[in-house]
Amino acid sequence: MVESTGFEGLAINAWLIWILPFVGGVLIPAIAKKTNQRITNYSAVGFALVSAIFAASLLITIPSGAEIHNQVSWISALNIKAGILADPLSIIMCNIVGWISFLIIVYSVGYMHGDRDIIRYWFWMLFFIGSMQLIVLSDNLLMVFFGWEGVGLASYALIGFWYSDRKKDYVGREGHYVLGIPMWASPTHAGIKAFLMTRAGDVMMLSGMFLIFMHAGTFGFKELLEDQTWANNMMQHNLLVPAAVLLFGGAIGKSAQFPLNEWLLEAMTGPTSVSALIHAATMVKAGVFLVARIGPLFFALAVFNVEQFFEVVAWVGAITAFLLATQAIVNPEIKKVLAYSTGSQIGYMMMALGIAGISTHFVDGYTAGFFHLMSHAMFKASLFMAAGGIIHVVASRFMNDMGGLRKKMNKTFIFMTLSALSLAGAPLITSGFWSKDAIFAALLESNSSSGIALFWIAVIVAIMTAFYTFRMVGMVFFGKKSTHIQQIENEIKLPADSSGTASNDPNNEYKSSENAEKTEKSSLTKEKEHVHEVSPVMWIPFATLAVATVIIGLAGFLFEDELHNIFGNYLETYFGIGLSDTGSSVVQNPHENNANTNEEMIGGINIMAVIASVTAFGIGSGLGIIFYITRTKDPEIISRFTFTRKIWQFLYDRWYLNALIYWGFVKIPLYTYNLIWKYFETYIAQGLNPAIQFTMSYLSKLVKFTQTGVTQTYLFAFVAGILVVLLLLFL
Amino acid sequence: MIDLSSTPILIIILLGTVGLSIPVLDAIKKEKGKKKNKLFSGITFGTLIVAILIIIFRVIGGEPLPSMSFGPDVLVDDMFGSFFAITLLIVSIMVSASSWNYMRGIVNPASYYSLILLSTIGMVLIAYSTDFVMLFIAWELMSIPTYALAAYAKRDPISNEAAIKYFMFGALSSAILVLAIGLVYGVTGTTNIGESILILANNNLQSQSNQLIGGFIPISYLAIGLFVAGFGFKMGLVPFHMWLPDTYEGAPTTIGALLAAGTKKAGFAAAIRVVVIGMFVLSPDWSIVLAILAIITMTVGNLAALLQKSVPRIMAYSSIAQAGYILIGLAVAPYAAMGLEGSLFHILNHAVMKSVAFIAIAAFAIGIAGYSLDRYVGLGKRMPITAIAFTISLLALAGVPPLNGFWSKLVIFESAIDSGSVISWGPYLAIAGLLNSALSLGYYMWIIRKMYLDESKDTSRIKEPKIILCVLLFGMIFMVGFGIWHAPLLEFASISVPTQFDQILPTLEASLK
Repeated sequence: MVESTGFEGLAINAWLIWILPFVGGVLIPAIAKKTNQRITNYSAVGFALVSAIFAASLLITIPSGAEIHNQVSWISALNIKAGILADPLSIIMCNIVGWISFLIIVYSVGYMHGDRDIIRYWFWMLFFIGSMQLIVLSDNLLMVFFGWEGVGLASYALIGFWYSDRKKDYVGREGHYVLGIPMWASPTHAGIKAFLMTRAGDVMMLSGMFLIFMHAGTFGFKELLEDQTWANNMMQHNLLVPAAVLLFGGAIGKSAQFPLNEWLLEAMTGPTSVSALIHAATMVKAGVFLVARIGPLFFALAVFNVEQFFEVVAWVGAITAFLLATQAIVNPEIKKVLAYSTGSQIGYMMMALGIAGISTHFVDGYTAGFFHLMSHAMFKASLFMAAGGIIHVVASRFMNDMGGLRKKMNKTFIFMTLSALSLAGAPLITSGFWSKDAIFAALLESNSSSGIALFWIAVIVAIMTAFYTFRMVGMVFFGKKSTHIQQIENEIKLPADSSGTASNDPNNEYKSSENAEKTEKSSLTKEKEHVHEVSPVMWIPFATLAVATVIIGLAGFLFEDELHNIFGNYLETYFGIGLSDTGSSVVQNPHENNANTNEEMIGGINIMAVIASVTAFGIGSGLGIIFYITRTKDPEIISRFTFTRKIWQFLYDRWYLNALIYWGFVKIPLYTYNLIWKYFETYIAQGLNPAIQFTMSYLSKLVKFTQTGVTQTYLFAFVAGILVVLLLLFL
Repeated sequence: MIDLSSTPILIIILLGTVGLSIPVLDAIKKEKGKKKNKLFSGITFGTLIVAILIIIFRVIGGEPLPSMSFGPDVLVDDMFGSFFAITLLIVSIMVSASSWNYMRGIVNPASYYSLILLSTIGMVLIAYSTDFVMLFIAWELMSIPTYALAAYAKRDPISNEAAIKYFMFGALSSAILVLAIGLVYGVTGTTNIGESILILANNNLQSQSNQLIGGFIPISYLAIGLFVAGFGFKMGLVPFHMWLPDTYEGAPTTIGALLAAGTKKAGFAAAIRVVVIGMFVLSPDWSIVLAILAIITMTVGNLAALLQKSVPRIMAYSSIAQAGYILIGLAVAPYAAMGLEGSLFHILNHAVMKSVAFIAIAAFAIGIAGYSLDRYVGLGKRMPITAIAFTISLLALAGVPPLNGFWSKLVIFESAIDSGSVISWGPYLAIAGLLNSALSLGYYMWIIRKMYLDESKDTSRIKEPKIILCVLLFGMIFMVGFGIWHAPLLEFASISVPTQFDQILPTLEASLK
């Protein structure tokens, strides 16, 4: 019943990685009932830690490149097996997920301190981690789908965690309408929105899954690879690429790619630790992971020409990267800037994974995408946790309510800036630089027609990324203190909902600094008590990650090379995707191969990519520094010209996408529904229901009538029954 | 001779010894009623646990058992018997454990538990027996103690009525069975099930050329028809079901569980070994009779349950309907590989689901002293754990995923659809089954609605009996656990029955030599 290959003993560990968080989640309420708050917190941390340690225990198989594949029969009626597949891809991924989640859980101990619903919080956090690890480790699409839905459910519950909808938990500026649609959202609204939008992707994924299942009769990744007749079959019906794109639809939903990107912004209503978890370790990475999981599978069927699928992936990534980066430039809320940047960075990963499939070196794009996933996971988790600390202290999510925080929150400033540099792609010292550089290189070397176009989009996005990152750092830590901060320092109590309404006019983002000037001098005395550094349990987790990004950044090139080797071997061994385009199955040293085939490369580094990357960082960060850090130029200038103001407004209105989605999928369907309800349901459907009820109870009475309670009747029926049976037999 | 250390013999010795020594113990001990009840309940429970462990150990350890075999002896130790033995013992265990609470203060606890044990021996032996005489003796050993058990509430006229009706029909069906066995013996000259099937099959083959032997065929038709009626009485097939609602309702509720979940399944064990195999070997076309019975049975059962006021009575009708679902698998068995497998799977599931339902009703009866649906209002708050167990069992009976009842129904319906490639009426069984499942929700949901949604005047908590809670907890874990991961049960069911029917005759011949 249990089939296992590879390291038998470790298979148990692999199962436990995803089972333990679920068990922990179930036990937390019981623990909370018997013990106190401290022990509950520690046990939640403990469960996350043990799960992460189990993940780390799998790392010993990486050098050998072996995989652990362990199956038990599950739905035997349909011959579906449950199983775990721990190959290098999922082992690395589950370590990223495990350890970052662990740090976030530690951070939550500080961040969620004193919340009265902490038990619910722990339950869903552990549930979230368990579901994500299930996606990462399962060996078939069906179990992936279960984890997928678990992640969706947990995200719904956590985004809407503060279900009492206090004004301070809203996102968006109150009073901001686009095409008649309000652009601010309460936590419950945001939770439902996230759930429904990802559901649209899930439905696509489900149909893709079942299309494949219909032809292959299995959901297992290994089985799909072993016997490829299904692909032949589907290709003849022109179904293979649609099925793959439908599967990718699930990834679009979960990873917030265009056109299902809008939920990600409202998802900022959850506790910031949840945002960190969603953006760094669990939810949005699930989509990228799915593409990384099925990408090689489809590429291995390359004889059947599935390039269109990879084209779709790459272009969706590119569009998203551009779309969200432009919006990040103008947004005034710190968490939303980070959210936009997540979508945009995920776009990079999709670009890389997509270009892998249409280029001659599959492994280059593949490694680049995955490397970026790793570095993004680290710096984004760090950024979110730091931002959470700032919001915690400042009690506002608007960046123009911050400013000049670098002295009071020294540690936060240092580590957040380090992670921000990584996001911006500061050359040579950050992991973000190396992974972005790898993507540029992959795009340049792809030898495909769309490669160059994608490359230029990537460069433009990189410029914008550097700019908005510096804008964020500048607005938060540099410049003068905002009125809001001064008010806090003056112990002036704000009205309860002031944070939502403090800056109704979108334009006054730029004016608040002027106001700040006027009131600044009045308060310099009591500030120490009010604006303060966050507690160690909060800053140590994000400091760890920030330092890790720099360490990986310093060793960036070697690290990338190692990753390249691991994935090269992985793809070669299990998918037969060679490193060379000749299709020979001989594993070649990536160094040699790169040096031989590409003249632009020196020692494995693509000069063109490095130049582009450094230039993009230079331009973007330069502009950011001028406008927001040294403040030699006033960003207000854009409001002086009608054209630039219009662009600003267009970006701030989210390209009207959100409004259009609301019109198309909420307003109009609701209107139609009302029509149906009014004319169809009240008249026709409600007339039919009693008819069914009446018929059934009449029949029931008829049957009851035979049950007289008189034994003679019973005997009569018995004998008559025998006669009928005999009659039937003789006929 | 059969091996004295084979499982059926061990079970007879173990359960028989304990069952007969309980009355002796009763005479020796001079304790009061309540303590005795606890003592005997404990002893019975322990004995049954040992018995089930013996069988499980035999199935898992040692050399693998044959799936379903016929030997020259009266009993055979095979997988099929073990499957039913485990199913029936689970029911007996649940019944005896919950009697700790439900039968507290009964007059004569010793005979109650002794009779349960003796009846259990009968049920288990039916599953193992390969000889008509053995089968008949086991049948009577199972039935006679239950007549007494059904009448256990001596001063309750309903209980007495239940027992009388049950006894009359029991006697009738026994007579019919004896007649059928006699007919088979007359034609074949043997009482061994396997041998007689073989002889009838060979006669059937020769009958096309030989007029004289051909004359026996109508008699074997008659025998098959009588077997269907005789076993159908216990299985609760319409129109042999009339006694069943009165008896299940009137008997003590724990005994209702034993009858609905236990003896009924023993009826299926006998029917599968004799009727399904025999019928198929003689002429597979006859299975349409079973198909017609299946459709009538489930429809009548569900319709009648729809407007009942008494909850045990609803459960009685529901168990008639469930017998219909199980019968689908039997009817399509010759044409679909999964047919018998699905039926066995559903038999095991139904045994647990129905036991849980009846035992939950027993717990409610302790709490509110009533069985009427109107009194169930607000029980979701008053007896929460019992109510949730009852709800899960009802949902499982209705076949709501992901509970175990869903999977077994799925396998049965799937096999009915698969059989469509051979016989045209196969898929209609699945359609009828689906429609009936929808109909059945009408009364299952009604009960759940009463318990949870309707407001009651009295909202005080009622103490829930502890041992029954343990039993219900086991049932819940079973229903939910095997709902999520049903593979082991289905695998067990599939190795217990023959899947390739065209191989039956050769294996039969081989096993008898």
